[in-house]
Amino acid sequence: MIDTLIATLVSGLVLGSLYAMMASGLSVIWTTLGVFNFAHGALMMIGAFVAWTVSEAAGLGLLVGIASGTLAAALLGVLIERLLVRPYYGNRNMLLITVMTTLAAMIILEKGAQMIWGARLKQLPRLVDGEISIFGATISAHEAILVVLAPLILLSIWRFTVRTNVGRSLRAVGQNQRSAALIGIDVPVAFAIAFGLSAALAGLTGALLGSIRFITPSMGAEPLVKAMIVVIFGGLGSLGATAGAAYIIGIIEALLILWLGLYWTPFVLFLMMIVVLVFRPTGIFGSSQ
Amino acid sequence: MRPAATSIILPLASLVLLLLVPLFATDSYTRHLFIIAFLYAVIASNWNLSLGHCGVFNFGHLTFFGVGVYTAAILSKTIGINPWIAIVAGGATAALAAFVIAAPVARLKGIYVVLVTFAFGQLVMQLVLSQAQITGGAEGMVRIPYLRLGDYSFIKDYKLGYYYAALFLLVASTLFLLAVVRSPFGKSLKAVRDAEDYAAARGISISRQRITVLVLSAIFTGIAGGFYAIYLRVASPDVFGFGTLSLALSMVLIGGTGTVYGPIVAALALTFATEALAGIRGLEEARFIVIALAMIVVLRIAPGGLLGIIEKLNIGERKTAEPADARN
Repeated sequence: MIDTLIATLVSGLVLGSLYAMMASGLSVIWTTLGVFNFAHGALMMIGAFVAWTVSEAAGLGLLVGIASGTLAAALLGVLIERLLVRPYYGNRNMLLITVMTTLAAMIILEKGAQMIWGARLKQLPRLVDGEISIFGATISAHEAILVVLAPLILLSIWRFTVRTNVGRSLRAVGQNQRSAALIGIDVPVAFAIAFGLSAALAGLTGALLGSIRFITPSMGAEPLVKAMIVVIFGGLGSLGATAGAAYIIGIIEALLILWLGLYWTPFVLFLMMIVVLVFRPTGIFGSSQ
Repeated sequence: MRPAATSIILPLASLVLLLLVPLFATDSYTRHLFIIAFLYAVIASNWNLSLGHCGVFNFGHLTFFGVGVYTAAILSKTIGINPWIAIVAGGATAALAAFVIAAPVARLKGIYVVLVTFAFGQLVMQLVLSQAQITGGAEGMVRIPYLRLGDYSFIKDYKLGYYYAALFLLVASTLFLLAVVRSPFGKSLKAVRDAEDYAAARGISISRQRITVLVLSAIFTGIAGGFYAIYLRVASPDVFGFGTLSLALSMVLIGGTGTVYGPIVAALALTFATEALAGIRGLEEARFIVIALAMIVVLRIAPGGLLGIIEKLNIGERKTAEPADARN
């Protein structure tokens, strides 16, 4: 009994790490630009495919592959901001228009990937082989790296936004664009940085996930939807709340799978999401405005 | 042309043409494309009722369609109810689903409306997937009973019966939409969309109008879903996916939000355009890319949709007629 519970909590931790990396990317764009990026999952998928192409098809090694996947996603993110988001700054309906343009971007990336890489299942090798035992629960060493890496990455993003000037300028732009521009912050550059950073996170997550799951054109859809649940649960506002919510959702999901099985779990998660949205639209940890 | 001419003669002429189509299109494939186009036209124009006329950013409209699909499939196949009744029942359950989701939507704003309606769609899809013994799960349901009228099977005569049934559905839905949009209720929807605070100050209940518009937009969408299931004789969870959603959304955007005929014209044009692309080898997937690009271009250069451009071109002639137009 205790063994099952520990195994469940550990798998919840792995899920939580994955969600934290995805959701913090969504959160960075939301807090800076007020845009909800539907292409976030597709950027993750591109990261995985590029990592596979560089590392396996071109044979340049896994680390080079992961770096290329991250970079490719970041570049695409900047491109999406430039072409599909920037034209609508200041538009009264910017939020809703960008929902539709980023949805279009998602479709282009997914179908484009299907045309380029085909439907055949692909997988990356693991960073390290072997398994690790935590309190009797075994996970692969690769998953353990993900669990260790996620908080480190979140911490460095947090440090970036709090301690560096560029990071502070992102928060300033998020709080008040006009005042930020008045004190000399280049607002378009801040937006591009936010999108690039968020997309790089998605690409890195995809490249790491490519060793655990199969790489397919639609692999980004499920993590995107889960990240959506996380940001709603934690509130779209702050990075810390998003990260906390990611781990909570990961562990709740693992527990639900244990108790209710694979089929009912997503149903309960979505029900929770709707209930939270209705009673606390700003999230469990969000301050009511 | 005077507004009366464009708003009455043009649609009637198009209807006569559509009634005559089966005389020229005698093969079942062309007729099939028309039937699918009519169903998409119903989905898109009804979606436009909530999205374009009332400004409710409902991202779960295809959920109503999916609820209609599965209602008709389960009622006619599993329970053995007459397919005609099963189709209409699809409209009733879709309206019920709309009522359930409308309660939270009425209280929310902006991105949260998108998220809660999207989550609702995912919720229904997960329910369909998890109840495999009723819905067939990921494989869906096949061999659903087809339509008959007395002894006449609608599969005969190269889908002639289905063609006219689908056209009838489109005409009924369009008349319904026109009646709603031109009623005082329709005017209040525009007020809610364009000047929420002022509308509330004039005694219009924002949440009641939002709930009503969602339920109204679901009725014919659900019936179209029921028809879709009975016509294709399959029900699959694909109807909840991003593919159908983006296709229908592109029809609303390209046709013009806030018009009645725009999405219908766009649905007919896009169904044939995408089908033509699907026929070219190697471009089966590219058609979705083309649609997505078209969506982006329309949002960039003509946020009012292509029909919006045409109306803008006419604006000089129509200025004097504007008050009369607002009254009808």
